Amino acid sequence: MTGYAFISPFIIGFLAFTLIPMFVSLYLSFTSYNLFTPPRWVGLDNFEKMFTADPKYWNSVKVTFLYVVIGVPFRLMFALFIAMLLNTKSRMVGTYRTLYYLPSIIGGSVAVSIMWRNIFSNEGVINTLLGALGAQPVQWFGDPNAALVMLIALSVWQFGSSMLIFLAGLKNIPYEMYEASSVDGAGPVRKFFSITLPLLSPIILFNLIMQTISAFMTFVPAYIISKGEGGPMDGTMLYSLYLFRQAFMFNNMGYASAMAWVMLIMIAILTAVLFMTSKFWVFYETERGR
Amino acid sequence: MKRKGLLIIVALLLLLTTACGGSGGGESAKGSGDEPVTLRIAWWGSDKRHEYTQQVIDLYKKDHPNVKIDVEYASFDDYWKKLAPQAAANQLPDIMQMDISYISQYAQNGQLADLTSLLNSTIQVGDVAESVLKTGVIQEKQYGIPTGVNVLGYQYVPEMAQKAGVEIPASWTWDEYKEIAKKAGGNGFYFDSSMAADIFFNYYLRTKGLSLYNKEGTALGYDDDQLFIDFFGGLADVMKAGGAPTPDVNSQTKGILEESQIVKGKQVGEWQWSNQYVALQQVVNKPMKMAAMFGPDMEKGIYMQPTMYWSVASSSKVKEEAAKFIDFYTNNVEANKLIKGERGVPISAKIKDAVASELNEATKQVFDFVAEMEPKASPMSPPPPVGSPEVIATLTDYVEQINFGKMTPQDGAAKFRSDANSILSNNK
Repeated sequence: MTGYAFISPFIIGFLAFTLIPMFVSLYLSFTSYNLFTPPRWVGLDNFEKMFTADPKYWNSVKVTFLYVVIGVPFRLMFALFIAMLLNTKSRMVGTYRTLYYLPSIIGGSVAVSIMWRNIFSNEGVINTLLGALGAQPVQWFGDPNAALVMLIALSVWQFGSSMLIFLAGLKNIPYEMYEASSVDGAGPVRKFFSITLPLLSPIILFNLIMQTISAFMTFVPAYIISKGEGGPMDGTMLYSLYLFRQAFMFNNMGYASAMAWVMLIMIAILTAVLFMTSKFWVFYETERGR
Repeated sequence: MKRKGLLIIVALLLLLTTACGGSGGGESAKGSGDEPVTLRIAWWGSDKRHEYTQQVIDLYKKDHPNVKIDVEYASFDDYWKKLAPQAAANQLPDIMQMDISYISQYAQNGQLADLTSLLNSTIQVGDVAESVLKTGVIQEKQYGIPTGVNVLGYQYVPEMAQKAGVEIPASWTWDEYKEIAKKAGGNGFYFDSSMAADIFFNYYLRTKGLSLYNKEGTALGYDDDQLFIDFFGGLADVMKAGGAPTPDVNSQTKGILEESQIVKGKQVGEWQWSNQYVALQQVVNKPMKMAAMFGPDMEKGIYMQPTMYWSVASSSKVKEEAAKFIDFYTNNVEANKLIKGERGVPISAKIKDAVASELNEATKQVFDFVAEMEPKASPMSPPPPVGSPEVIATLTDYVEQINFGKMTPQDGAAKFRSDANSILSNNK
């Protein structure tokens, strides 16, 4: 009982700020609520509108899926690549690790998003580089696809947290394995595919799921880069940004709650699918290689 | 031992409830001369506005030592994000700055106090034009007191006009505007950065005797989609001819005055409200001028728009005291010498004259321009109805697609009509 007393701050906080609001938002998702007048029960209207009468909603789903499906694999590949580079015994390696981790620490922040805007502006660094290489400058803010590429680039650049986890995983692979394979005449490529990847697969699964969930909920970069509007032509209208606009700009709280619950279900399904596929490619040492 | 734990829980719970219940002091409902009163005031704006508003508040506190004033300010977007939940929790500030596109929503949902009975008792409005005061009336009740008035116009740098090889006539038509803008574009200069879709389309409709919303706010106020096609098609043509920056250039500099094309010396002028002139002129840092809106029937189109309103929350326990502050803001000469017309030209004729001598050159131009336009202006259309922020966002979306060439004006007109009417039909 005394124990409960000591953790009561957390319990009260969890009830007041997480659990109860969740159920309230579930109730609100079946209502029409504009914050001013009491919620009006409308049954499944919100969901019906979402799935049948709101092209902007489907566009936001499409944009978000593109962002996740393209962004996350690139991010993980990048993270693994850098982790392998940093898994050496040279001096200064600690400094490099810190440097590579920095972007993720400042990652979700407003300042980075503003900097990103400027890098990709018409007269920005990226276009200057492209010009120097003899390519045509790209109008990053004039084309929905280019704007999405810019957002994805930002997410790939913030690979630090998954990199650290990969690094820990790489350190766990016994050095004897590599030595033994060298004796058997395996080159670096063979080593990577036959030893590193299989032994790292549980870590890859963990990273994949965590990154997918967080990518789904991305909000700040899209909000800042598009100045809250999701433009150009809804090219950066991520799901959470559209939800935010419905909730706080148009005061459609009921509709926004319904969107939030659909998002939860989508993420749950996606995570379940990833788990199901895992038994085909994730290798646990205890299983003796199936 | 078990009992002890229970006691701790109870104690903690008690602590929590008292912590939550500590807000909302027991102010008297009257607020007579010298009892201590606390007022909450909220507004949105720029740093400059926060600065002088704080000075005005300090001035007020000097005269009324019994009044304590808490301020809350933010940028426009953040302001509305904060205000809506406060309204839901019945905790709106006593005095709020209200925007024309939101006032209907707040008024019709019973969030704002009716100030009719306080006019000329607490809030002196003897020197205010009836038509101006009326802009704060919704469904026969005075929900807002305008902070000042605004009028639309074209604000430009004469030196740039010369460079671009164009002349700005004293009066012009829509067709002449398009010609001139395209000519500037042909000479390698932007004429403007296009026009804010909802504001100027509404102006264009007004010149034809119509408006963007119908009187009841239940549907659009025009039937002929050709008007949409002419107006936005025309703006897209100007853009194609280089008379205005493409939308991607515009989107990059949106909201950052220092980076706009006009400051970089690539653009002749801007279409905007008169109270935005001073800030623009300061950043451009060259002599500027203001020209009237394009016609035909410019007189039908222009109107004195309240820049914004002061409103009092219906939940406020100190409405009388709140009204006193609004009166001070409206009628105190010293205060208005600090304000310098930043929230629009003062609505009181007496104040306008009293501060005229103290103004800098740019502000003087604004006062003169508004004075010149006032006799020509027609009454304002009713404030935009509930749901207008969503209608405006929809319109902006389609106009963007038209400007990018991804949608024809014909399609945009039809799509906008069906979307807007479905949003507005909730008001029936």
